[in-house]
Amino acid sequence: MSQQSGARILVVDDEPGILRAVQTNLGRHDFRVETASTGREALEAYARVRPDLVLLDLGLPDMDGLDIIRAIRERANTPIVVLSSREAERDKVTALDLGADDYVTKPFGINELLARVRVAMRHAAHPDSGTEPVMRFDDLVVDLERRRVVVGGNEVRLTPTEWDLVKLLTSHPDKVLTDRMITEAVWGASYAAQAHSLHVYVARLRKKLDTGDAARRRILTEPGVGYRLVTD
Amino acid sequence: MRKLMGKIPAGRRGLVGYTAALGSVTAVSLFIGFILWQVNIANASMLYLLAVMATAVAFGRGPAIFASVLAFLVFDCFFVEPLHQLTVSDPEEWVSLLFFLLTATVTGQLAAAQRQRAQEARQREREAVVLYDVVRLLGGNDVDQALEAVAERVRSELQIPGLVIELWQPEGGARRFKAGRVPPTVSAYRNSSAAVRILQSGPPTDSRDHAQTGRWVRIVRPTHGAGALEHVHLVPIRVDDRRLGALLLVDPDGHFDMSEDRLVSLAAAQIGIAVDRARLRKEATEAEILRRTDELRRALLNAVSHDLRTPLATIMASASSLRQNDVVWTEDERQGFAQAIEQEAERLNRLVGNLLDLSRIEAGSLRPQKSWQDVEALVDDTVDRLRTVTARHNFQLEMQKDLPPVWLDPVEIGQVIYNLVENATKYVPPESDITLEVRRQGGVLAFTVSDRGPGIPSQSIPHLFDPFYRVMDGRPRPHGLGLGLAIVKGLVEAHGGRVWVENRPGGGAQFTFTVPLAAAASATTTPAQATVV
Repeated sequence: MSQQSGARILVVDDEPGILRAVQTNLGRHDFRVETASTGREALEAYARVRPDLVLLDLGLPDMDGLDIIRAIRERANTPIVVLSSREAERDKVTALDLGADDYVTKPFGINELLARVRVAMRHAAHPDSGTEPVMRFDDLVVDLERRRVVVGGNEVRLTPTEWDLVKLLTSHPDKVLTDRMITEAVWGASYAAQAHSLHVYVARLRKKLDTGDAARRRILTEPGVGYRLVTD
Repeated sequence: MRKLMGKIPAGRRGLVGYTAALGSVTAVSLFIGFILWQVNIANASMLYLLAVMATAVAFGRGPAIFASVLAFLVFDCFFVEPLHQLTVSDPEEWVSLLFFLLTATVTGQLAAAQRQRAQEARQREREAVVLYDVVRLLGGNDVDQALEAVAERVRSELQIPGLVIELWQPEGGARRFKAGRVPPTVSAYRNSSAAVRILQSGPPTDSRDHAQTGRWVRIVRPTHGAGALEHVHLVPIRVDDRRLGALLLVDPDGHFDMSEDRLVSLAAAQIGIAVDRARLRKEATEAEILRRTDELRRALLNAVSHDLRTPLATIMASASSLRQNDVVWTEDERQGFAQAIEQEAERLNRLVGNLLDLSRIEAGSLRPQKSWQDVEALVDDTVDRLRTVTARHNFQLEMQKDLPPVWLDPVEIGQVIYNLVENATKYVPPESDITLEVRRQGGVLAFTVSDRGPGIPSQSIPHLFDPFYRVMDGRPRPHGLGLGLAIVKGLVEAHGGRVWVENRPGGGAQFTFTVPLAAAASATTTPAQATVV
């Protein structure tokens, strides 16, 4: 929590009600909050305050939210959490592909939003978390150097593709990876050609990593978007 | 010639040819007899060639050969020694007679062939003209109208009393396009006779040959007793192997030659193509309408769900904030969240109300609850409700003094004023003027909402009061569904008033709606109305 104190967050939304609620809450959790209700204001505020995180609504009156992601990614790796409505399913995937770090679907509870903000900030603080030789997530241990995966004390045998998949997911814990990102990273192939094999491999990997407890699934499906490795 | 013969049946027409051949040979024989009685000339038999040629030209090959043989026999019998016998004494005469027969036959053949070619050319020309007419008539967009004209064109060409184009509908039943006099019983569809079975299942012979598609049937007219017969010629109308209907030719004499059969079949084929094309065109149009309706419905659903969910997002965020247990909110913060929840709930309520109002308006089930209302109080009340909406604008009210009470539904007219002012606030920049003016204008009370905003693009004016219509001219899209003005129109019209919009000189838009004062007068004379509504 300590690394978050005083972090600057830019909140971009054209709904005054949302803006106010989010601002009040973030302020109470020791963030310094800047708000913008149009795309133009957002870019201007971004250049001025250099925020540590951007909360971005995709449906802005004057600009496409996706263009704002592009503009920010041209300059920096500032974490971006997208606030999207359910109608903009496709936009959400595009936003992640463009480099947004996560998304929260409206309407959302404040706790969910705060959790996503914290995760995004944590990853921003440790960008090389995926390169430590041994990673532990509860009872899942991934040893990158020795290419070993241990679940609940038992070593699990993985095929090379499964291993690549585990490596990719564990190097981005708690982050949504879209189908496209995963297929391109694991197979180096186009998304369209591999979409189906991806689902098959994830299903197989789940059988090997999960302990059978549905509430403690490791690899979470984000419907219509992609997958996320859950760590807590 | 064909026209003259048109209505003489083929069998009798042949008989006429042979009789004429007999007559002409007899006439020439008498003439030769007369000449030979006066002077003796050689080769008088050549005169018979005239008769043969005339017969060939007029009646064709058969009668011409008949005339040749007849002339040969008559000449031999009556003018060659020995007379009254078929024998010939002089062998030279034999040669001359046989030569005559050969000449006569060849001449007759040539003349007949010429005649046939001329006749065929005429028939082809006629077919071409009729088909051209049919195709031209069917080329238009209105197939129904074209079919009437085609029926009449074919009927008059065939010189028959009546003709029906019958098209079978996929859902059952048939549509008929009639020309001339058609007995009511004539129908291929309703009669489950052999003819219909042939039409619907196809004749046993090769059905692709158009020249053979016609079928003769006799349809009994029950109203005239079993003895009365109507000759009807049925020609199926089809495209590929689908049967679309039939051409029914009503003809008491019931005779068509090959050429006419072909003509009718070709016309039927053209009708089939035209009807099928019209069907495809209609299907394409319907598919397009469906696609657009679907598109509209999807856009609508998106807009509605977005607009319903937006206030919900604020409500949920604020409510979940209040429930946070690791934060102690100040009184002001708590009030802020509560206020946001209240405001957004109100907004949601208005949205749902608008959707319900609109569906009531569209269903025509709007029933204004009219009563005598003090206009000033109504307007003041509405302006009061508008306070938060107009907070960022310079809102002014100009009201004429001493307005009479008006017979109206205060909730609905209040809603109309509210929607118009709210609409203005969405489109004009903050701090600019919005004016509501109320005054009496002859027999009506006029409410005018004017602003100094960007005005309305002229192409948008006709659609402005359509539900879900939004002015799209590159400006940021304001919140809302585009229902407000549609509701205004529905409510004003339910009061017998009118609403319109115009751009103001010097910039800005001006909405005016009227409520009749006269309605109040009629209401007083018929107090029953007041309790009925």
